[in-house]
Amino acid sequence: MAGDNEVNLNESKRVVPLNTWVLISNFKLAYNLLRRPDGSFNRDLAEFLDRKLPANTNPVDGVFSFDHLDRSTGLLNRVYRPESQLGPPTAPIDLENPLSTTAVVPVIVFFHGGSFTHSSAGSAIYDTFCRRLVPLCGGAVVVSVNYRRSPENRYPCAYDDGWAALKWVKSRPWLCSGKDRNSSDVHVYLAGDSSGGNIAHHVAVKAAEAGISILGNILLHPMFGGEERTESEKRLDGKYFVTVQDRDWYWRAFLPEGESRDHPACNVFGPRSKNLEGMKLPKSLVVVAGLDLIQDWQLAYVEGMERAGNQVQLIFLQDATIGFYFLPNNQHFHCLMEEIKNFVSAA
Amino acid sequence: MVPYDTAAIPIANPPASSSSSTTISKPPEIDGLLAGAGYKVRSSDLRHVAQRLERLETAMLNSPSQHLSLLASDAVLYNPSDLSTWVDSLLSELNQSQSLPSLPSDLSDLISNPTALDASWMDQQLSPPTAAIPNQQPSQLTVVEEDSGIRLVHMLMTCAEYVQRGDLSLAGSLIQDMQSLLTRVNTGCGIRKVAGCFIDALSRRVFAAGGGGIPGSAYETEILYHHFYEACPYLKFAHFTANQAILEAFDGHDCVHVVDFNLMHGLQWPALIQALALRPGGPPTLRLTGIGPPSPDGRDSLREIGLRLAELARSVNVRFAFRGVAASRLEDVKPWMLQVNPKEAVAVNSIMQLHKLLVGPGLDPAHRPAPIEAVLGWIRSLNPKIVTVVEHEADHNQPVFLDRFTESLYYYSTMFDSLDACALQPEKALAEMYIQREICNVVSCEGSARLERHEPLARWRERLGRAGFRPLHLGSNAFKQASMLLTLFSAEGYCVEENEGCLTLGWHSRPLIAASAWHALPETAAVSPDVAVVGGAVM
Repeated sequence: MAGDNEVNLNESKRVVPLNTWVLISNFKLAYNLLRRPDGSFNRDLAEFLDRKLPANTNPVDGVFSFDHLDRSTGLLNRVYRPESQLGPPTAPIDLENPLSTTAVVPVIVFFHGGSFTHSSAGSAIYDTFCRRLVPLCGGAVVVSVNYRRSPENRYPCAYDDGWAALKWVKSRPWLCSGKDRNSSDVHVYLAGDSSGGNIAHHVAVKAAEAGISILGNILLHPMFGGEERTESEKRLDGKYFVTVQDRDWYWRAFLPEGESRDHPACNVFGPRSKNLEGMKLPKSLVVVAGLDLIQDWQLAYVEGMERAGNQVQLIFLQDATIGFYFLPNNQHFHCLMEEIKNFVSAA
Repeated sequence: MVPYDTAAIPIANPPASSSSSTTISKPPEIDGLLAGAGYKVRSSDLRHVAQRLERLETAMLNSPSQHLSLLASDAVLYNPSDLSTWVDSLLSELNQSQSLPSLPSDLSDLISNPTALDASWMDQQLSPPTAAIPNQQPSQLTVVEEDSGIRLVHMLMTCAEYVQRGDLSLAGSLIQDMQSLLTRVNTGCGIRKVAGCFIDALSRRVFAAGGGGIPGSAYETEILYHHFYEACPYLKFAHFTANQAILEAFDGHDCVHVVDFNLMHGLQWPALIQALALRPGGPPTLRLTGIGPPSPDGRDSLREIGLRLAELARSVNVRFAFRGVAASRLEDVKPWMLQVNPKEAVAVNSIMQLHKLLVGPGLDPAHRPAPIEAVLGWIRSLNPKIVTVVEHEADHNQPVFLDRFTESLYYYSTMFDSLDACALQPEKALAEMYIQREICNVVSCEGSARLERHEPLARWRERLGRAGFRPLHLGSNAFKQASMLLTLFSAEGYCVEENEGCLTLGWHSRPLIAASAWHALPETAAVSPDVAVVGGAVM
């Protein structure tokens, strides 16, 4: 924080409920302990601290979950499904029949956040969030991807894992649905928060290049950046749980060693970026928190996507901080849920 | 690009369908939303915790970054779920490290004192032992097979339903179908192997007169146990974690006594003896009382093992005495047989034994007190410094057969999978037989013959709490060392997790065994915080 030891703690406390403040501050301080100045990461302590929830094939509030391990890649996906209205509750998980032969059932492939370094599909905050999405989107299936994290696994590992997960999802007969048997397909949305949003974008690009259909992208304060220090970064540095210094650390940990933040993974519409014009990218829902210091990069992303001819819906939540969607105790949370619901149900 | 203003939005409706089970109910004063995120904080404490977090942030900002890294690497931290204690312990660690000049790394153990706050005292304050038991434990499946193995699973479930309904002839014919399907399918790997065990167990239940497990001598059991010990890390983790906790509990005591509820080959004890030998200040006098089944053929196998351990202790200059207590069942053991001396520090060690003392839930407790209550009672009367408990993390004691069957199918599939991932060894086949015996007991035995009545950690916490025990938390050091132990295994996928002061070992995201440590408050002590802080074994 540029040698400034004075911390404006009161500001963040005024804009979020107390329990949210406690939750995110706790993360912030724990994460400070885990990041080492030399760029290494205390993974042991991180795993010790991560509060996890197991998968549960017993439905809880109408949603059950199970984990799938892809033996060839070692990649773990957690699948969330609505409780079946047919059949006894102890019936084994149906891995043969399609989700529906009379309606389209969306499958949301979700990439959890954590700045490419923290959390997992099993983290309590993300398990809870994914569970909410199932009934919200009319009984959608959610697949949460346990992608490899940095600094142990740098770019492009997270993207490779995202791509592998997408291919896996697209090839499951039991994730297919359609209005009739002839139009059966896996109807995929990509979604993610923070680094997960970044991953969703890059996987969507790869899917477009490969001709794989994605119905929509949901990016929740996605993690983008660049070498330049934007106005929002300077204005909001350290004010609402996040500092420019920690953002820099995570990029250094994720990008190939020695790379700058203008690397195309990070600066998607920067000097080294790929030209996205003409690419048939899915429609996007981009949610920006008005107190997130990287919002200028996110707004630039939206602009860049629109200039390239893509349909983008921007939700700008004026006084939302990062992580506002972890606990359902604020209006931004409910607004977000409504927008996601509308986005996924629109044809 | 219209900025979306924060207009009032109606609260999203909960799903219309009724839920078939509810989330765990907690004492009303705990903040429910934070609980969902894995943190236990009382609503009334939130403001206080927030202030401490602010203080912690300031302290961290004023700390050179090498101190922070040192703190993170070396401090022993406990139970991150209990936010209040967690924040306070970090503050106390930071304050200690700041009062000293910057130290070379070999003095780092001066910094990482156990915290002044007894974690177990905080637990006593925070959650009374009578927490509501959840209706249904998470039923988990990791590694879902998608090829023809799924057909076998379907058939197994259908067969179990027939058994549940009492349709034994239908069950029997399905068993025959499954057996023939098995012969056509490669049983080398995957769910087919565990399916074979379950088909066999169902077959015994349906066809064998009076049902029944796999007969076998105590000697055979020991051989299989030894191979299970070698082939996969579960028992090693159990021993390692328990020993770590026992070592710390024995700190400062010159006369110590370990009571092992199931000696087997005494595999757990050489490591503890060696660790005690290397203790700064010298080893204590160690007594070990090993409980085990009587030997049928006139051999005194308990004594033989005791002699071997004594030999080892002698070679490392640890004064050692062994006593064997032969009993076919743990409930036959009486405390006077253990000859505990009031001046000794006692550790009671139970690796996968307590569940054998349970009875079927739903049996009238007034009819006969469950053996578990009696045994927990006399353990308490020994006033142990520590009780180490390792149990299967599963609910295999459910009253409904079908529920039990389903849960154990998922549980043992995961365990078999983890075994499969280990390098091919001669031990693996016999380890699988060891597991097969357990499966048989869970599925085909009833009444007093069913010993494998596994219950999950949440239930054990409740039970031990009711019996007057308080948790001793296993910390980040035990976690780190258990994780390091796992890297010795070539199989990636074993996973240690921290669960509110206990450690679990599992395969990928599914915990399979849980290790915990406990101590008993002295029975005559007044319930006053000071007594608990002084009397508790600080780890």
